[in-house]
Amino acid sequence: MTGVASALVLGFGFGWALHKAGLTRYDRIVNIYRLRDLTVLRFMLTALAVAAVAIEVGRALGWAGHLHVPPTAAAANLVGGVVFGVGMATAGYCPGTIVAEAGEGRLDAWLAGGAGLVVGALTFGLLQPTIMPVLRGATPTGRGTVADLLGASPWLVAVVFALAVALVLVLVRRVGRPSEPARTR
Amino acid sequence: MRPAILIALAFAVVAAPRSSTAQCSANASSCVSCHETQGLRPVLGDAQPWHVDHGFGDLCSACHGGAPGEEDQTRAHRGRREPLIAIEDACAGCHRDDAAARAAGYQAALAARPPEAPSPPPPRAPRVAGTSRPADPYLAALALALALALVVAVRRPRLAAAGPALAAAVRAPTWSPYAAGALLGAIVGTAAVALGRPLAASSAVDKLAAYLGRWWFADAPYYRYQMAPGITWQVWLVIGVLGGAFASARWSGQARWRWLPDAQWVPRFGPSRGRRLVVAFLGAVLVQVGAGIAGGCTSGLAISGGAVLAPAAFLFMAGMFAGGIPTAWLWYRRAP
Repeated sequence: MTGVASALVLGFGFGWALHKAGLTRYDRIVNIYRLRDLTVLRFMLTALAVAAVAIEVGRALGWAGHLHVPPTAAAANLVGGVVFGVGMATAGYCPGTIVAEAGEGRLDAWLAGGAGLVVGALTFGLLQPTIMPVLRGATPTGRGTVADLLGASPWLVAVVFALAVALVLVLVRRVGRPSEPARTR
Repeated sequence: MRPAILIALAFAVVAAPRSSTAQCSANASSCVSCHETQGLRPVLGDAQPWHVDHGFGDLCSACHGGAPGEEDQTRAHRGRREPLIAIEDACAGCHRDDAAARAAGYQAALAARPPEAPSPPPPRAPRVAGTSRPADPYLAALALALALALVVAVRRPRLAAAGPALAAAVRAPTWSPYAAGALLGAIVGTAAVALGRPLAASSAVDKLAAYLGRWWFADAPYYRYQMAPGITWQVWLVIGVLGGAFASARWSGQARWRWLPDAQWVPRFGPSRGRRLVVAFLGAVLVQVGAGIAGGCTSGLAISGGAVLAPAAFLFMAGMFAGGIPTAWLWYRRAP
């Protein structure tokens, strides 16, 4: 019950943020890969920096239980990312924005997006025993974080990361603004 | 009191957490959640080759039995066999052709094992389902804030009275990406701190698609041993995303049924709905396959994983751009 409520509340905010950032727009998603509209980058990097610091604050206050750290398997993460990027730059979708686009009333997301996700999940399910042992075996795997790898304090890493993100955002603040006319080379 | 306020208050009461559930069996089996993710007696990284060989998947119960859907330690260990269930049957589940040969290797290893090698007890007691987490105040504060926002938003006709700035923010068609990103960051941080969960949209798809997978591909090892269908926390999260995007679009006057993207698509690909559906379908397939390979999507791996500074997240993002930039170039190379 509590679990369902927390999921609905957090999901509501997630969908709200996706829509308010304009990530339910095909052109906005595709143009990050044409380096013409960096809104997606600004949105994601801000979210990363805020969340990284919030998590460290939560840990320092003793509120955090166990943190979920996704397993690292370099080859699988990279290859999966490439396939994901090809699909994202083609359709203008990622799994979360398909749902948000559906909420906005987009029929292509309801029909093609929904069907594509299910077919993609089943395709992966059938391919998994063939490809995953190869990809996971190609590079070392682990469940550490960057702080574990560096042997540094997670606090330090999170703060340095947030500052680096802020610096990047400041440096690219004039690059790829959608209000600008498209740059020509 | 107006019904809308009652609804919002009821929502707040329901959403205010009393006690959190354990995070075991969020996505993977509770074996992997407790042993590996929470690190209470990890085995997949150890020197035993069979664990390393099978570490690519969530295969524990195929050989060791037990109840991988249970969150409580006692119940999850019910039916567990020490050391293994029938070895040849376990191997035959995936390796149909040479199960006997593979089983022989395990039988030899077992025979060579010292007669009394009881497994050491877990170093510390796992979290018991239903115990209160110290993070509850954090979650309660967020739930109340969102409920308050909902009260204000639902009473749209009198929004102006609640504060012109807030009304303008709710009605704005878009926010600055920094503001929207900060909201998402707060949500990701809350989910991680209070619940220990990523916001994983692709995981919800996997769980729902597994209902079909179990039915159509009953013999596929992935659906026999690993991916159990279920209405998980992530599925409810995705339902919340649908509602949040609808609310944001509705209150800014952007929610309407439409077939084609609003900009850029038609000049490049034409007004055909069929073409949009085909391209969108193929793209969505690739996106979900890629998320499966990488171990998560933009929300579950890149943002939720990047927030805890997992190397996997940054490798995934590098891959996304390595795949996406050439693809976008191919689609648009002749466009002005």
